[in-house]
Amino acid sequence: MRTTWQAAMWVVLAAFLGGMPGSAVGGDEKEKTSLQIEGSTTVGPIADEFTEAFKKLHPEITITVKKTGSGDGIAALIDGRCPIATSSRFMKGDEFKKAVEKGVTPVAHAIAMDGVCIVVHPSNPIKAMKTEQVKDIYTGKITNWKELGGADKPIVVISRDTSSGTYESFTNFVMGKDKMFEKVEYVNSNPQAHSRVSTTEGAIGYVGLGFVDEKVKALEMNGVAPNRKTVQSGQYPFSRPLFLFTNGYPDLGSAVHAFCTFYLTEKGQEIIEAKGFVPVTNY
Amino acid sequence: MTQAIHSEKPAAGFTRPLLLSPAQDWGGWLLGEAGRAVLLTITGTSVLAVLLIFVFIIRQAWPFFQSQGLTEALGSTKWYPQAQGQAQFGMLALIFGSLYVTAGALVLAVPIGILTAVVLSDIVPFRVRQAVKPIIEILAAIPSVAYGFFAVLVLAPLMQKHLGLSTGTNALNSAVMLAIMAIPTIVSVAEDSLWAVGRELREASYACGATRAETLLKVVIPAAHNGIIAAVVLGMMRAIGETMLVWMASGNACQIPSPWWDLTQSVRTMTATIAGEMGETPKGSTHYHALFAVGLMLLTFSLVLNLATEYLLHRAKRSSGGHA
Amino acid sequence: MNVPLRQSADKVFTALALLSVVLVAAALVGILLPMMWRGGSAVVFRGTVEFRRMQLEQFNRGDSAAVRAEVEEAAKIRQRAFEILDGFAAGLDTSELETKVKQLHREFGVQIANRDIPQAQATELRKLSKELRDGLLSALEAGSKDQALSHLDEVLSHAGDGRLKGTLASTYFDLARKYHNTLTTVDLNRRGEYAESLKQVMEAMKNLFGPPSGERLPAVTMEQYGATRWDQATQHLDRLLWAETWAGSGEGRTLAKSRVPREEQFAGTELAELFPYVRNNIQAMLRPQWTFYWRYFTDDSMSGHYFGGVGPEVLGTLLVTVLAIAFALPVGVVAAAYLVECARDSLATRVLRMCVNTLAGVPSIVFGLFGLAFFVIYLLPKLGLREGSSILAGALTLALLVLPVIIRASEEAIRTVPRAYKEASMALGASRFRCFVTVTLPAAAPGILTGLILSMSRAAGETAPILFTAAVAMGPVPTSLSQPTRTLSYSSYDMAVGDKMAMLAPHNQFGMVMTLVAIVLLLNIVAIMLRGRMSKKLRGQ
Repeated sequence: MRTTWQAAMWVVLAAFLGGMPGSAVGGDEKEKTSLQIEGSTTVGPIADEFTEAFKKLHPEITITVKKTGSGDGIAALIDGRCPIATSSRFMKGDEFKKAVEKGVTPVAHAIAMDGVCIVVHPSNPIKAMKTEQVKDIYTGKITNWKELGGADKPIVVISRDTSSGTYESFTNFVMGKDKMFEKVEYVNSNPQAHSRVSTTEGAIGYVGLGFVDEKVKALEMNGVAPNRKTVQSGQYPFSRPLFLFTNGYPDLGSAVHAFCTFYLTEKGQEIIEAKGFVPVTNY
Repeated sequence: MTQAIHSEKPAAGFTRPLLLSPAQDWGGWLLGEAGRAVLLTITGTSVLAVLLIFVFIIRQAWPFFQSQGLTEALGSTKWYPQAQGQAQFGMLALIFGSLYVTAGALVLAVPIGILTAVVLSDIVPFRVRQAVKPIIEILAAIPSVAYGFFAVLVLAPLMQKHLGLSTGTNALNSAVMLAIMAIPTIVSVAEDSLWAVGRELREASYACGATRAETLLKVVIPAAHNGIIAAVVLGMMRAIGETMLVWMASGNACQIPSPWWDLTQSVRTMTATIAGEMGETPKGSTHYHALFAVGLMLLTFSLVLNLATEYLLHRAKRSSGGHA
Repeated sequence: MNVPLRQSADKVFTALALLSVVLVAAALVGILLPMMWRGGSAVVFRGTVEFRRMQLEQFNRGDSAAVRAEVEEAAKIRQRAFEILDGFAAGLDTSELETKVKQLHREFGVQIANRDIPQAQATELRKLSKELRDGLLSALEAGSKDQALSHLDEVLSHAGDGRLKGTLASTYFDLARKYHNTLTTVDLNRRGEYAESLKQVMEAMKNLFGPPSGERLPAVTMEQYGATRWDQATQHLDRLLWAETWAGSGEGRTLAKSRVPREEQFAGTELAELFPYVRNNIQAMLRPQWTFYWRYFTDDSMSGHYFGGVGPEVLGTLLVTVLAIAFALPVGVVAAAYLVECARDSLATRVLRMCVNTLAGVPSIVFGLFGLAFFVIYLLPKLGLREGSSILAGALTLALLVLPVIIRASEEAIRTVPRAYKEASMALGASRFRCFVTVTLPAAAPGILTGLILSMSRAAGETAPILFTAAVAMGPVPTSLSQPTRTLSYSSYDMAVGDKMAMLAPHNQFGMVMTLVAIVLLLNIVAIMLRGRMSKKLRGQ
């Protein structure tokens, strides 16, 4: 009996020890054409699907998509850690300055449009709101739906986490300089915001246009309902473009170039639409 | 043992003593000491690791303390790390949130955990105890992300539906799940110390005519109190350091609930803040350093708790006469 | 206190104690069972013909001829449903008709330009086409039925025009007739309502059956197929057959949900017959069959996590875990050996022990922070690797996390080796080192192995330490250790809260967690069994 254990033990030990030296090396030989894409959780799904399409079109390119938020993606681009950053907002002034200081020339490619939709539970009788009312809810001035003509229900206020691009867009559109009050709940993603609103009767939240379905009700803002047309034309007040950022315009024919122009192709546009965003052109 | 072999004279039949003194075989002695030094160095990895952890966390947290100072961090509940131009880093609500869910978890987990330990040590037969203990350990082994998954997809909707709460991801949800996670730790440590109390005390108590409940409550548990407190502190450490679960289940509202005892409101913990924001924070920003400062606070908490456990377990060992 | 009271207090205490055990057991069962059950449905389920087609086309699996035959047979029955839908939709969706009419005018213009006819005649034809176009457009935009019909009649009056015979322009009349037909059967005032509902019907049809055969394939893989699972199909079918509306009961009141059968909603239109047709033929259209999809554990996923399995996640988890153990095990065993065999009760040992305990108490998220600050940003770039999360950084972080577990388990195992073994070996003249390697270590091996397996399960389940050091939500299967990887633990998190595809495929959400929990449980059960055998052996059985 003991010998079996002994043997097993040594095999395991040998396997692990043998594995060790191999682990330290092996980092260098991969530079075939691998693309590292970092950034926005909103643009992430588009990048994911582009990646999948690329698998068939350009099997020689391997793409890694990291969804860590717009700010981090842009920082990664500035530090030279990735060639493409996805972002759901334009670069801020100080980011631009930092980039130029480090010798990076950021070029923006607007690949799609998205609307930040204010959503409520479908049982909510309220259909439309004004920007100021939304702001009052998020700053805690309005805490019950009946103040807006709805049912007598406390408002559960849901926001995206403070690092997301959607949060930044929302604060730009709605909050201005004001801060959200402390009862606001933070969720980590669009789907989570969607599921929180769809399961909570008194909830209000905001999600990207692609996450509006029959389980949540998107409100008309300042008299404009969010949909493809109004977002594309910019009539809907909370419309925003989504970006890819590169360092300079990518070399023609490079993998980066292929990726950054993919949104112009019919397939790319179709993917963008399938993911619930609005293509920048009518193909 | 070594002393016994270090005999002055060679044993009968041997030409040399089994172990030589350093003077007799300095080469062998040197080799032995060198070997020991190598072993000590390797063993020192854990010391090095602890040191490195402190050094690197403090190094990254330092710029935050330098630029913001401790007063704002510990004196304000306003955590607005991204507000443009006027970011605020008040950690009070985060610290409170961590303590809050931990306390909630302990209120649930301690009685259940100790009672379970009592059942295992005093009520059921030995065989059952041997069978049940591993099952409880399985509870401890389930990854926290799986608990979080359960909390967010199963428990939260249930709470909203049946308790009529406005939000299912709240302090109560996290506390319940944390309690379930902390119970195995509490049970196994508490059970060990109950076991270590020994038969004599129990039998003496029964002989005086005490019932089982009285024996346990008035004799055994008081006798094992150091170990039991250590169990509670260990459970507390587990709860306060837990990340994925609270991130998913606590709602992450950065507030001190009012009224303070209302467990059905959302709170945010230190761990969840780090996990949720670190990935999306540009490196080198104040926010980034602030998160390390939160991490440093967590580390300090756990260190203090750890020292407390060690002290208590040490005392438990001494008071039970070294049986444990 | 009197005796009966004391006895009942005793009973109450016992009952409470037993209740707490029951609660713990209930928690275990209540958490594990639903997770395993629903996760199991990712592997065992009723797959439809769409599933088999997807497997064939995407993974090149299954009997090609048989699947093709099956697809064709199903398509035959679906054909009728699509025809009904198209016939109705063509007339109703005016914006689509509008584009069609406008395009027709442009194309006709090109056709005229290419034909060899006198300039004057071409201009005349173009003018006529424009007239027809405007007639149709105003019919489409007309507010009332009569107005629209009169515009259509005007257009149709040109139908006999010989100049238009055999040209593209004859399509104008087809469109006009179709719209005429729609107008006479559909109430124009309810058109908006129909359009909204029709959108949902089309969506449900797409979800059920995928694109109709013969149409161009959509770019996104998941849209190329209908419902691949019967449980999904029944949900989509429900949405097809029932309209869900939210209606108010008065000012300032919460709206209530009501379900109306679509048959009623579309009563009197040609679409009404679609619903009974689909309801009665759904089995034949989808052909569900019990499927055991064991490749779930090895397949890569597609379209987010909509199709496919958890192969890369399993691989990533194993890679990170095994590597972490490879780093931690030698150090851990040596440290344990030192603590047991060499250490005197000195200050150094006490510090050592305290450090091990401290390490064990550090919250996992702090390990994550440390891994980020030390391995990712500081150490690995110094060694010439790319800065950024990688398997190596994650494994090193996890190694630190499991180090105290391994040290403690090994220490315990080495300590329990009977003294007699050591004494016997030393009495035979073995040196201390030799004694340890040949006697103590093998005897302690099962115990060390148990600790190893337990720490593996711990490492596999941890998420927080690899959040910033190794894990990505989506990415290729890693080819080197300096790349980040997907892992079960992080993907479980990502799927629970961060992935839209996962929202549509809850079986895959649960499947991911189920796989993780199964691996961890398996490791634990092995460890428990090992320990059981060990203690039996130590008791000399």
